[in-house]
Amino acid sequence: MVDTIYAEDEIIDTKKAQEIISKFRHAKVTSIKRFGEIFNPSNQNFRIQKTNPALILAKKQKGFVLDAPKGFGIGDQNNYYFSHMYNCLYDCSYCFLQGMYNSANYLVFVNFHDYQSEIEKTIKKHKEKKMTFFTGYDCDSLAMEPITNFINDFVPFFSRYKKVLFEIRTKSINNTVFRTHDPLANCIVAYSLMPEALAQILDKKAPSVSARIKNMKYLANKGWRIGLRFDPLIYCSNWKAQYSELFANIFNEIKEENIHSISLGSLRFPKSFFNKLLQYYPNSEELSFLRSNDKGIISYDQSIENEMNEYCRSELMKYSDARKFFSCG
Amino acid sequence: MIEKNLEGVSVRWVIALKGEAEEIIKNYAMKRVATTPFPVYKNKDFDMWLILSGIGQLNAVAATTYLYVKSDASYNTIWINFGIVGSRNFKVGELIQIDKITSSDFQDNYYPSPSAFKNNNIERCNLITVNKPEKLFENDGVYDMEAYGFFSFAKKIAPHELISVLKIISDIPGTDLSEIDKHSVEILVSKQIQLIEKVLKNLLSSQKIIFLQLKDPKYFDEICLQKKFTFSQKVTLRKYLTQWQARFPQRNPLEEIGQRMTASQILKKFSDNLMR
Ligand code: SF4
Repeated sequence: MVDTIYAEDEIIDTKKAQEIISKFRHAKVTSIKRFGEIFNPSNQNFRIQKTNPALILAKKQKGFVLDAPKGFGIGDQNNYYFSHMYNCLYDCSYCFLQGMYNSANYLVFVNFHDYQSEIEKTIKKHKEKKMTFFTGYDCDSLAMEPITNFINDFVPFFSRYKKVLFEIRTKSINNTVFRTHDPLANCIVAYSLMPEALAQILDKKAPSVSARIKNMKYLANKGWRIGLRFDPLIYCSNWKAQYSELFANIFNEIKEENIHSISLGSLRFPKSFFNKLLQYYPNSEELSFLRSNDKGIISYDQSIENEMNEYCRSELMKYSDARKFFSCG
Repeated sequence: MIEKNLEGVSVRWVIALKGEAEEIIKNYAMKRVATTPFPVYKNKDFDMWLILSGIGQLNAVAATTYLYVKSDASYNTIWINFGIVGSRNFKVGELIQIDKITSSDFQDNYYPSPSAFKNNNIERCNLITVNKPEKLFENDGVYDMEAYGFFSFAKKIAPHELISVLKIISDIPGTDLSEIDKHSVEILVSKQIQLIEKVLKNLLSSQKIIFLQLKDPKYFDEICLQKKFTFSQKVTLRKYLTQWQARFPQRNPLEEIGQRMTASQILKKFSDNLMR
């Protein structure tokens, strides 16, 4: 576990920072001025840092609530995301974080209240619109819950805004926090999923897909609403059979009425990210099907993307209402 | 010890004085290869060099720069600043790895990467680089006169994960500085040589990871020798060959290349195959 903690002088004495620090009794704590001193310098090696990440505690100064990328959403007019943390406990080979950040250290912004007041402002400003707030975009919030207590703080917060959706995107099977709180109708616990055999290769350090399904079933039975996120769809030689089996397994365990939404997403990277990924995983067959298009984006060939989307949609329609389907990106 | 001719091994030591360096020079069998402007030592079997910078930040920057050029150090090189320091927090003789470097002259702080500290149980602490020998030790941490200058340059030429600042405590409040001579320093260093090797071992394992990341894919050099590729074509070729290796490990891409094919035709051929 974490043996090095860097904490900004400005927040090191706050309750949240101290609560987190107290969980790592053996870690060496070093004070810093700003997180950028550690997180931003170039010439850092993401893969090496990933073998022993440090924890950085900082104060977010601005940009608490951001517009979600175009095309991202589960049906609402306004979609926002907020990131109280950068980097992840897991180590998925296709994760865009390794192309995005110079550092693999866990960066946690501890001023949760500032996020909440910005979210509140956004909700009030657009109160006539339907909106969703996403977390788990730059990290897996639930996986880090034992350290941050983030969801424990935000579930009661969103319980005050019944018309606003709060989506927690995750691969974690940690369910403690969902046992502590009553299920919230406007909270979606959205699981990222892919066929088990692919997940074994690509979703490193993350729980197996069967464990995720088991946990979804548990949460659904408790009354939590579940999202299914097949994002990214991964191409491989027998993808059709693998995805069909995955869908059957999920709907064998979970009743359709417990599913809030289903979304499908494609694998896409900016070119520079992809070059880094190839350096990190030269032997990945899964990455070998990707190509650069004329806009400098790396993706599968359009025909592969279309075929996967169409096939998966039609398979999923065997189990679920098409009105629950959305595309990511 | 380091095995002979280990692929990718490349190490540079920047040390202020001969007394501090003597045990390292002996331990890694380095021989003097230059005297001016700085004394430089080198191992004949593998790519390890050492420079005596002299005292002070300016000397440290100048010597690190000089060694970088003289030894033709690649990006994937380990850089270690080693030497003796004073402190009020430790005992004389303790080996310390530095996790924060501040300077009495500059605002920015530097943070050597914790990946070098992994599982070695060696004490860590912050270091303050000053311009005059410190006697009062008003702040916690250790005091030296070179590390800040060293790190400010090393971080530009090597990955953070391969840069380390290692110090041995030689003086504490009340130490008579005139008693610290070359011989006593050599003894302090010789007692910690095993721990120093342990730190180097961690750095070497990080270096190996980076070496594999930077390595060109199989057949890249052969293909570049056969045809003239532009810089951007080489980038694409590198990518295709990496993907080729993952997808068709049994197929030799050289066999796909016809005698009269141009560089762009070769790239197209690879791309078409990879699409299938
Ligand atoms: S769970 Fe998500 S954020 Fe975490 S490593 Fe995997 S893809 Fe990245």
